Formats: sequence, C-alpha cells, structure tokens
Amino acid sequence: MEFPVGLRVLVVDDDVTCLKIMEQMLRRCLYRVTTCSQATVALSLLREKRGCFDVVLSDVHMPDMDGFKLLELVGLEMDLPVIMMSADGRTNLVMRGIRHGACDYLIKPVREEELKNIWQHVVRKKKNENKEHEHSGSLDDNDRHKRGSDDAEYASSVNEGAEGLLKIQKKRRDAKEEDDGELENDDPSTAKKPRVVWSVELHQQFVSAVNQLGIDKAVPKRILELMNVPGLTRENVASHLQKFRLYLKRLSGVAQQQGGMPNTYCGPLEQNGNHSSLGRFDIQALAASGQIPPQTLAALHAELLGRPTGTLSPAMDQRLLQATLKGPAGISVDHGVAFSQPLIRCPSNISKQFPQTTIAAEDVNMALGGWPSNGPGTVGPINTLGGLGAQSGSILMGMLQQQPKQTIQSEPSRSINVQPSCLVVPAQPSSSFQAGKNPASLNQNCSFGRNSAINYSLLSPQSNNISFGTGQVPDGNLKSSTVLNGYSGPGSISPSMSSCSINADNSATRQLQNSPFASSAAGQSPGFSPNVSDTQGSYSTNSGQVLDQGPLRNLGFVGKGSSIPSSVYPHYTKFFIKRSDECFLRIVLAERNF
Amino acid sequence: MLLGLGANQLLADMNRLLSLLFHQGVLDEQFLELQQLQDDSSPNFVYDVVNIYFNESEKLLSNLRGLLVDKEFSDYKKMGKHLNQLMGSSSSIGAKRISNICLAFRAASDQNNRPACLRALEMLENEYCYLNNKLHEFFQIEQQRVLAGGVRYPIQQQQQQPPQQQ
Repeated sequence: MEFPVGLRVLVVDDDVTCLKIMEQMLRRCLYRVTTCSQATVALSLLREKRGCFDVVLSDVHMPDMDGFKLLELVGLEMDLPVIMMSADGRTNLVMRGIRHGACDYLIKPVREEELKNIWQHVVRKKKNENKEHEHSGSLDDNDRHKRGSDDAEYASSVNEGAEGLLKIQKKRRDAKEEDDGELENDDPSTAKKPRVVWSVELHQQFVSAVNQLGIDKAVPKRILELMNVPGLTRENVASHLQKFRLYLKRLSGVAQQQGGMPNTYCGPLEQNGNHSSLGRFDIQALAASGQIPPQTLAALHAELLGRPTGTLSPAMDQRLLQATLKGPAGISVDHGVAFSQPLIRCPSNISKQFPQTTIAAEDVNMALGGWPSNGPGTVGPINTLGGLGAQSGSILMGMLQQQPKQTIQSEPSRSINVQPSCLVVPAQPSSSFQAGKNPASLNQNCSFGRNSAINYSLLSPQSNNISFGTGQVPDGNLKSSTVLNGYSGPGSISPSMSSCSINADNSATRQLQNSPFASSAAGQSPGFSPNVSDTQGSYSTNSGQVLDQGPLRNLGFVGKGSSIPSSVYPHYTKFFIKRSDECFLRIVLAERNF
Repeated sequence: MLLGLGANQLLADMNRLLSLLFHQGVLDEQFLELQQLQDDSSPNFVYDVVNIYFNESEKLLSNLRGLLVDKEFSDYKKMGKHLNQLMGSSSSIGAKRISNICLAFRAASDQNNRPACLRALEMLENEYCYLNNKLHEFFQIEQQRVLAGGVRYPIQQQQQQPPQQQ
C-alpha cells in the first residue's frame, strides 16, 4: 500500500446525504473511512480511539456542536489535521475556519478530486509539528516517542521563568478544579489568529499570568491583560490556554503510563485525573533532556530494587521514622521498604518482597515528583518540574553514595549501582536542574515533604538523617497536613518558605536530635560543606533553622542538589511516605503492572 | 435482442430526461459525479443517496416552514442553519436549482426579510416536488432498464454487457 492508501479519515457531518456521498468518495480514494453524524459522538470517538485517525473532515454547521468548536478541540487534543466543509463558503466563515486551525476548507459540493488530495494535510501537519517541536515544544499526541524530548523542552523553558514560577506559587489556588470546565465553556466563536509563535518568553509570560490569576480563574481576556503583549489577541491566548491545560492533562496521562508520580499540580487528595504527572513528567523530561543521566535513574531503580528490606512495622509510619532515627540498627533501612509500605499500606513484609520493592523504586520517583502542595501556595506544575529534578537528583546522589556503605553491610546487589552513582553526580550540573534559579524547585521539595510526609532516612544504618522527612514529626504527627502547614503556608518560593518551613524543620530537628547518628552522618560525608545553609530552597530554610545540626545541613545540600558533589551527601535511603490517597495507590499499582 | 433494444430505449429515455433536467438547470454536473461514484461495492448508490436526500430535505423544508409560519418567528439564525444544510446536500447531489434558491433564501434570511423568505420557501417546495418527481421517474426508468437488460451504471458501459435472457 502506498502512502495515501489507507489514510484513516473521520467524516463528521449532520447531513446524512453528504455523509453518504463523502463516504463513498473517500472510499474510492482508497481511504479508510469512518462516518459520524454527530459532532459530540465524533469527539468521543476521537478521544477513545486516539491515534486511530489521520485526518478529520468536519461540517461547519452541526446542531449538537459547532464545527469550529470540534475543530478546535480536535486540534488541541488530538492535534489532527481538520478539514472543514460547508456549503457556506462566505469569506468570513472560511476565515473563521482558518483561525480555528482548519487546514483546509472545502465548499460543498465536495468533489472527489479534492478528497484525493487531503493526505497532503496529514503530511504537512506532521512536518510542521516537527518544526514546532524544535521551537516551542508543541504537543503531539501521535508521536509518543517524541514526547519525552518535547516535554523536556517544554519543561526547561518553563523552568527558566523563575519569576513566573514565583508568582505561580503565590497566586495559584487549588488546582483541583482545573480544566475541563473551561474548555467547554469557551465560546465556540473564540477564534485563533493564524499562529503565534509561543516563544519561551511569551510562554513564561503566559504562565505567570495564568498563575497570577489562578489556573481555575484564568480566562483569556485577563491573561491577555496581564501579559500585555502587543499583537497578541484574546484568541491566541485562549487557544494557548487550552493547549496549556491539555498539556497538563496529557502529562498526567504520560505519567500514568510511566508510573509515577502524582502530579505536583494537583493536591494529593485529588482524583487521578488530576494526578497529573508533572512530577513524573519532570523526571522524564530531565532524563530526556539529559539533565539526569539515564544511569542515574537506572541506578536509583537498581538501588531500590536491590536493597534488602529491613523489617519495619508497616502500620506505624511514625515508628518507622523513629526507628530510623533511633536505630543505628540497620533495621529500618530500606528505602524501598519504607517507601512502599505507607503507600500500599501493606504489611511490613512487603518490603522484603522484591517485586514490591521494585514498585518502591518507582515510587521514589513518584514521591519526588509527586508532591503537590495543597496550600494556596501550590507550586505551578512547571515549577515542580524543576524542583523534582533537583530532588531526584539529590536523592539519587544520596542513594548512590549510600550504596557503597550499604554494600559493606551485606548487600551485594547494591554494589552494582555504585558506579553509576558516581557518574551521575558529576553529570548533574546545578544549572541543569536550575535549582539555583528556581526557588520553586526547592519549594517543590517542601511541598514534597509536606504532602508526602516522606521520610528519607539514610539507608546506612549508621546515618539517620531525615532530610526529606522533615515533615514528619517524631511526636507522631504523621499527618501530612501538619507538615503541609509548615511548608505550604506562603507557598511561595524560598524566602517565604523559611517561616513556613520552620515548623517542619523543628519536627525534623527533633528527629535529628533524637538520632545520635545524625551528627555522625554529617561527619561522614566528606564533601559536606557547612555553608549549606545558604540554599535558597525550602531546604535551605530548613537548614537555616536546623543549621546547628548536621543532618539538617545535609538537607540543605540536598536542596541544592546538583551543585554539590556526590560525596557531600550523606546517605539517604529511606523514603518514607505516608499517604493514603487512593490515587496514589492506584498509581503504585499501575506501576507494578508497568 | 428485443429486450436489449428495449433496454437501450430505456437508456435513451433516461438520458433524455437527464438532459432535460440539465437544460432546465435543475441538475448540474454534480449529479454526474454522483453517478460516477456508483460502483460494484454500492450498486444502488445514486438511488440511495437521492432517497436520503429527499427524506432529509423534506424534514428541512417542513422545519423551515414551521419556523416561518410562526408569527413570532425571529430565529433567522436557525433558519440559516437549515438552509445551509439544505444547500449543502442539494449541491452535493447536483440539485442546482434548489441550492440556488437556498442561496436566495439565505440572503433573505440574513436580511430578516420574512416575505422574501416565504416566497423562497414556496419556490423551494415547488422545486423539491419537481425534482422529486423527475428523479423518481428517472429511477423508474432505470429500474426497468436494469430489469430489461441487466445493464446498469455507469452509462458508458451500456453496450458492453449483452442482455441476459432467461
């Protein structure tokens, strides 16, 4: 079969006569034709069978949904070429089609010769997409393989806008309500101007505007006002907003596939849909962009997997933490274990089982990426990305370093990882994570801490640092909420964080104090610099308060993550996540399948 | 042979009828396109499509009438949509005159010119009846022809198949 043959065409027209004729014509072009007389049905068909169509032919006037609306939705969600057709060939209408992104406008009666040629739009679209990817990282549903890199671009560009991020954090309210509503609400007559190139800067402006308004309250008009960019129209903004939202959504889809992290974007309590994966996305993105060397990830996973599990009482999160702290005892030790347990709520045994451990490993990623801040200060997804990256990096490093020590202990499997870890550390430049630039990233960590109440204790029995675990209070405030309060309050980036973080820190501090090893741990890390306290991020804040204590410093380092040499990091191994969200569980389970 | 001649006769009738309709401007070449689309995979394609068309346009016409008869009528936009659909399907089957009237109808509708709309609607209804009758006739002849000679579309192939006699 040569190319145009078998082209999968969806024809949408409420006019059955035309539908029938079109079907026959297209069939004679040797295309594979699907017909649909209702736009809404067509849309759900397109959504269900993603990637099952190459091009959409749609009537303009349809009773259940304006053809332009369909066009726009399809363009945004599926990014398929859409050809409009209508008996009404008046210029303004055709113009509207163009503005909405129609790649062609056929005036009825449609002739067979015109249909023979529609494959060109498929090709053209693909070509343009590739170009777009290079520039702005547009979203492409069809080519999943491309996505990794695209996302990375997207993410990185986003990260660059530190100020935007700050604003986002300040302004963003619950992300819960998110999108759907607005998509539908959007005036069908909303028109897109030809194509605005959404440069990184422009997009940043856009993002910051959105975040000022709050994602749920962001309407094109206000965004436009805030952006104040000459030449930009409401339509441009409207379509970009939709794209942006869909992008966020799509990310979540990706996340689920890859297993991962709950979305930073959404509150932990939210449903899956929202769980989006920005977090995951980040990791992916980072990995894709080369910021995180693949080895690192691999190493991380390997570590987690390889680790023998210490037995911890599953039910007791606190216990776990405390145990970690107290115990020089190797008892606590597996990250995988600790981590996985809370999530799954499984009995302690889980940790021992390898398969689950595996899960845990991925969970780690999730945890890193995933912790959204519930508070008003919720970090923009983008920010999160940065943060995640940083975190993951730091964690990775920590883990890696630990490995050697653990190896000593008795676990052969881990040793494997060691090398990669070394590699990893150098590979991560601070810039790549942009930790310095983005206070947001630090916040991310905070948020992370809060929601998750994640504890990263050192794997090595000796070191009991709870860098991440700050949120968890020895007192038994297992609730993430407590932690959250500490971090989330201002929600804004680093400087503000300090006050918030304090609470968390205190708890952390206590823990640290409790653990005799904490100080020792700090001592152990050769690279450890006292200066760590400087770190901007939530970590830094933490560190500032906690500075006295060695372990906390470590935390600070972690926040910086990339900049610090691997040696600096003390061993963190344990990820303790207490989280009851079912979404999370689901994700975990999904991961398992994965 | 006799039947074959009869088939040819019928075919001539069909062509005469068609050319009349073309000449009157009732149909245009789009109808020929439609005939071209008929093939073995859908041997009754033209007939099916035209049938669908008549059913649909009948509904549309009654909708239009319903709209216009209503004294408080003011929904010209809705009328415009009906008209667009009618225009789309009419032009797609090559019902040229109907789609031309639709065009005028829509212009009247755009101007909220109700009397003109009513006039246009009446013309549409007349055209609809006329076309319906003529095409009905056309298909009847065709059916006879098929029965007589086993020859069917496309017309160009008329001489190729010898009539099948029982």
